Amino acid sequence: MPTCKECRKFYPLEEDPGKGDCVQRVIDPRQAYYKAKPVDAEKDAAKCSEFEKNNQR
Amino acid sequence: MGETAETLKEFEQKQEWWWAAEKKRSRRLDYLRKAMWKKGAIGGLYPAGLYIDLERPVMQTEKAKELEYSPDPYVIKFAKILAHVLDNKTIFITDHSQLVGYLGSLPNMITWDPTLAAILNHEVVNDPTSIPEPMDESLKIISEVTGYWAGKSDLDKILPHMDLDDAMKVLSGAVGWGVPLSRGGYSGKDYEYIMTGVRAFEDIIAELDRKIDEADEKAHEPGATREICDLYDKMNMWEAMKITLEAGIRYGKRYARLAKIIAENFEADNDRRQELLQIAEVCERVPAKPPRTLQESLQYDLFIQLFSRNEAIEGAWPARPDYYHGPYYERDVNIEKTLTKEDALDLAGEFLIRAAEVSQYKVKWAREGLQGIEGTWVWTLGGVKKDGSDACNGMTIALLQAARLVRVANPTFAFRWHPKVKDNVMREIFECIRQGLGYPSIRNDPILIANAMNWHGHPIEEARTWVHQACMSPSPSTKHGFQPMRMANATANCAKIIEYVFTSGYDHIVNMQIGAETPDAAEFTDYQQVFDAWVTQMKTIFSILVRPVNRARMLAPKMTPRPFLSAVSERSVESGLDVCDPSINRGNAWITAFTWVENADSLAAVKKLVFDEKKYTMAELKDALANNWEGREEMRLDFVRNVPKWGNDDDYVDGIMLDCLHAAAKFSRELKCPSGNNWPILPENVSGNIHYANIVGALPNGRRLGDALYDGGISPGPGLDKKGPTAVLKSCSKIDHITDGRAFLLNQRLSPTQLAGEKGYQLWKSYMKTWADLGLDHVQFNCVSDETLRSAQRDPEKYQEVIVRVAGYSAHFVDISRKTQDNIIQRTVQGLG
Repeated sequence: MPTCKECRKFYPLEEDPGKGDCVQRVIDPRQAYYKAKPVDAEKDAAKCSEFEKNNQR
Repeated sequence: MGETAETLKEFEQKQEWWWAAEKKRSRRLDYLRKAMWKKGAIGGLYPAGLYIDLERPVMQTEKAKELEYSPDPYVIKFAKILAHVLDNKTIFITDHSQLVGYLGSLPNMITWDPTLAAILNHEVVNDPTSIPEPMDESLKIISEVTGYWAGKSDLDKILPHMDLDDAMKVLSGAVGWGVPLSRGGYSGKDYEYIMTGVRAFEDIIAELDRKIDEADEKAHEPGATREICDLYDKMNMWEAMKITLEAGIRYGKRYARLAKIIAENFEADNDRRQELLQIAEVCERVPAKPPRTLQESLQYDLFIQLFSRNEAIEGAWPARPDYYHGPYYERDVNIEKTLTKEDALDLAGEFLIRAAEVSQYKVKWAREGLQGIEGTWVWTLGGVKKDGSDACNGMTIALLQAARLVRVANPTFAFRWHPKVKDNVMREIFECIRQGLGYPSIRNDPILIANAMNWHGHPIEEARTWVHQACMSPSPSTKHGFQPMRMANATANCAKIIEYVFTSGYDHIVNMQIGAETPDAAEFTDYQQVFDAWVTQMKTIFSILVRPVNRARMLAPKMTPRPFLSAVSERSVESGLDVCDPSINRGNAWITAFTWVENADSLAAVKKLVFDEKKYTMAELKDALANNWEGREEMRLDFVRNVPKWGNDDDYVDGIMLDCLHAAAKFSRELKCPSGNNWPILPENVSGNIHYANIVGALPNGRRLGDALYDGGISPGPGLDKKGPTAVLKSCSKIDHITDGRAFLLNQRLSPTQLAGEKGYQLWKSYMKTWADLGLDHVQFNCVSDETLRSAQRDPEKYQEVIVRVAGYSAHFVDISRKTQDNIIQRTVQGLG
């Protein structure tokens, strides 16, 4: 089962690596931006369409 | 460069200022302005591409469920829910931006707060246009959320404690609008406490800790007193305030972290990387610590505004950005020279855009009443300092210039004019008006300071800090003077006063007895009886609207508290009482008087044609009105054409206007708010003149059911002011703008051709001198030609950026209803000189 911490979009908190942010690049019809949403490192990412395996971690 | 300069000149010559602005603004402002999702509803519906944000309602609901059986008192639960949202909501940073923060999870999301009112939640369920896909999934979430909050929302809790007779009359929508909630209206702020650079959130938290420790110690000393009983509530309130401030600091740090992640992992451009690291530094600093730079000051302000709007629906944005950000501008641009004027202009322009993006889902009647905009964000510029000296500064100029570059319709500005304002500032104001922004509106500072002292007893130093609490009403930004919540339902549809004179208070539109059961108008034998009935109806309607607000203000501290707004308010930090508690509030209430002028014109028509000339009987008139003038067109035209109309310097009708105002002013001193202060009236309209067109029946001024009402305040009826601009000003000057009411809105249309060049400026300045000499408190201008407006009606795609002044606010012309568009075109274009 893949978890958020295995994803390249996951950025762990230094003070608590069990938590972090899912950071994504978005381009909507008007603007481009980066968004972040807090997630748990161990969260099940099996159904996440944004999941991208991070091979460097 | 040569080609661009020529094109710019062509646009300016053609007075196509919106294209000229595109050419003039920086690359950053151009990107950010075009990146902006306009949030104002069009025809009561949100534009395509906008969606209701379901993230926050889900978070609020999950946290509320989790806390359901916790021993925390309500105010702490509420603060924890707010903190949960700030800690977990999606945040984003737009390319090129330097200021960050938005209410929703994504730029095109409209936030919905399900904790406020079931009537709002029902509208969400039934909204056919803004529910995000996949629809089935969203509807399931909406259903669960609305189901949970049914019976638990603020309005659900408050209503059983109201007088139901008054409540039903208010909610009928016939005589007022809005609901009496402390989390739904116009929130003033204690800027003198929070925006002067003396303190920020960490300082307040330290103060709250001291307060809690002292109270805790006192509460456990031997003894038992009433004071000790009160301390338990106060400690809870202080704790709740602290929870919200700590969450605010964490929220800032979340942005700092995201900016750093982007800079270190994504951004290839070195300049942008530096900007992102700068954003990170700013958000590490504020709101925790006081700002040191203009960017930090603007970011700090933006965070405060967003936190407050996470706590409540705020339909206005009381602010004085030049006054509070000006010292940072001065230091960065002129003293330390760490910013160029162009850099500062970019920040000022982006600050306007960030505010323009703010959106909160509102009920349909509110969206219809505020066509094309999200709320009345009227920012106050200029004015005097507490010592009476001129408060204008470099930031005043920067904001006026930035407004012309980004051309947002919301926020708009209102400028506090006084005799010491320098010519260079007046020229910047004139440029905004000439370039068709419709703002700033001009306010007469000496008059309004005297007015604030007269009506609400604000000491002069506090009165001098005033900001617009909504479109028009001044409110100090001081410890005891600022009003934390203006509940919008004290907004009177005043045309109903004269309508009810002829129906003995029965409302045939909503089929309810709303007004007083005054005697049958058909039996009146002299004008005095008509006027006496008018006074009775006026008193009845005002009372119906004011009583629920007073009641809600009394209930608010316990039932609908505002821990965040309290935390940034000195009086609450000091006392441990909710910011809405009347005992720590001097009071600054007012009744917004929509559709006011119809009363004077109607009474004049009755007096002249029925009692002076005896052309018609009261019975005939009553019958004609009951039948919407049908079959009586000749008679109707008599009432339109052959009667003096307000705005022509005619003492016959102007005297009646004064009689009405004096009666209202007298009653305003009998109506008291829970702080014991007065309820003066404030004639203005927003776009209520269109909203109420199908709610107000036929009137003796010749108006039929469905016709647009006059556009506002003390503006003459469209096309009825036939004697030129000076006659309008003279009629308006017969009103005492200090003692007859809280403020009086005057719309004027000027010709863009006439205002061209230096001659145009001198003409306008001369007009403004007359306005000031005559002692009016307000004037605002539309300066877009009929030709442009009609072209925009024919070809809206080409004229997306044309802005007009609707009433107390501006809007993009294409975003307002056809009826409102026509109403603006019908206004008389005044020739100056």
